[in-house]
Amino acid sequence: VTLQQQIRRNRLRSSIVIVGFVVLLGVVAGLIGAALDLRLGVVALLGAGLYAIFAMISSRAMVARMTHAVELDPDQLRPLRRLVENVSIAAGLPMTPEVRIVDDPSPNAFAAGLRPQTSYLGVTTGLLRVMPKRELEAVLGHEISHVRNRDTYLMTMATIFAGVIALIADIGFRMLLYGGGRSRRGGGALVAVLAVVGLLLAPYAALLLRMSLSRRREFLADAGSAELLNDPEAMALALRRLQLDTTTVAYADASVAHLWVESPTSRVESERRGVLALSSLFDTHPPLEARITALEESGGFRLPEQLPSDEPFAAEVGLV
Amino acid sequence: VIWLWIVLGVVVLLLVLAGLGYNRLVRLRNEADTGWSNIDVQLQRRTDLIPNLVEAVRGYAAHERGVFEEVTKARTALQQASTPGAAGEANDMLTAALGRLFAVAEAYPDLKASENFLRLQDELTDTEDKISAARRYYNSTVMHYNNGIQSLPWVLVARLLGFREKEYFSAEGDTALPQVSFTPAT
Repeated sequence: VTLQQQIRRNRLRSSIVIVGFVVLLGVVAGLIGAALDLRLGVVALLGAGLYAIFAMISSRAMVARMTHAVELDPDQLRPLRRLVENVSIAAGLPMTPEVRIVDDPSPNAFAAGLRPQTSYLGVTTGLLRVMPKRELEAVLGHEISHVRNRDTYLMTMATIFAGVIALIADIGFRMLLYGGGRSRRGGGALVAVLAVVGLLLAPYAALLLRMSLSRRREFLADAGSAELLNDPEAMALALRRLQLDTTTVAYADASVAHLWVESPTSRVESERRGVLALSSLFDTHPPLEARITALEESGGFRLPEQLPSDEPFAAEVGLV
Repeated sequence: VIWLWIVLGVVVLLLVLAGLGYNRLVRLRNEADTGWSNIDVQLQRRTDLIPNLVEAVRGYAAHERGVFEEVTKARTALQQASTPGAAGEANDMLTAALGRLFAVAEAYPDLKASENFLRLQDELTDTEDKISAARRYYNSTVMHYNNGIQSLPWVLVARLLGFREKEYFSAEGDTALPQVSFTPAT
């Protein structure tokens, strides 16, 4: 399977998931309409649409606020900007995304923005201090792949949809419980029960849709980075280095978790949740080991036991 | 009457398919053209840097005439190259000539320490990195475009419609397609 085919399949899957979201939203609105009042259903649908549009417009600034990513003096960032430029050129992006810095010792990076033209990358100072140039470039390649594959767009939409669905399902559920469903027609009780169950489950369905989307994308972005730089081993080395690191990002809001190259939330927490067989369904990222193995298999190499002890990028170029 | 409708339906379906396929080829061709202009921008930047670099070295090593001539010749060849293939060859020539120029510069510590020279060297390295990045993108777009016009049924009509195969831009003699080659790069 070539990368191009993989991207095409992935885009098809994405459209299916988006359709799934729309259907789910319709079901939630329909349940509210059927159990409470038809007009309420319409209002919920309209409200959800308005909210989604507002969220889309403000998403760029919102992500920056949530991740604490700041723009730095262009001169200071020049060597890093160059790397991003090169990777963007190799990906054929119409323009180079901005680079923002998150002052955090944990090595991680993310991509945000709805369109390639308005995208930006966030890179932690920890990443620059830990990764040698070759591996840093691979991580940037991973993020640029997200931008190129329109993952950032899709994930932003998915987050918004999941949020909207959770919100109106919650409102509908409360109204049903406390306001009481009107049983004007026959079988009203059945409709009400169906609505309660449906509204309870809808947010989880939305969450599942969102997660399934993001985890596939991580594999694809790893492969994309390997292709852009013609160096699958660099990506695998970078992932191994992330695996050996135990720190986590301080401002890791769960709602932006899917943006990062490595899941930014506490690993202790995921291990605790690991007791539940279902928990991996709700992880935003596949395990790093699985991602490394995927790269090793497609690249036909084995990672060495010992990581190369090249100088980290920050030290090499005198950055931060 | 029903046969008429079936025939009509099939014709419409074929027309839609043909339209989609044609649009795809146009898109692939545009991508390859964009890919080429990305390379062109960087090649232009590279040729623009050369005169300053030659002047900077000449200030310290005026007698190394042969090297300067070689660099200037390669630069002219690159400017005059009209196809991606020719440009790739000229670009390799320029790389080789610049290698010799920098080898000459090694012998002059004052030159190597001069800020102007360091800046030019840095810019050139950056440009070379960008050329190789742009090459990876361009070659992959060319591969997809060429595959597109060489596969059925387009191979029969591509020439009539003005779709011509494009040349790869190869450097350092590597003609490997930029598919994930999956060889460890160490």
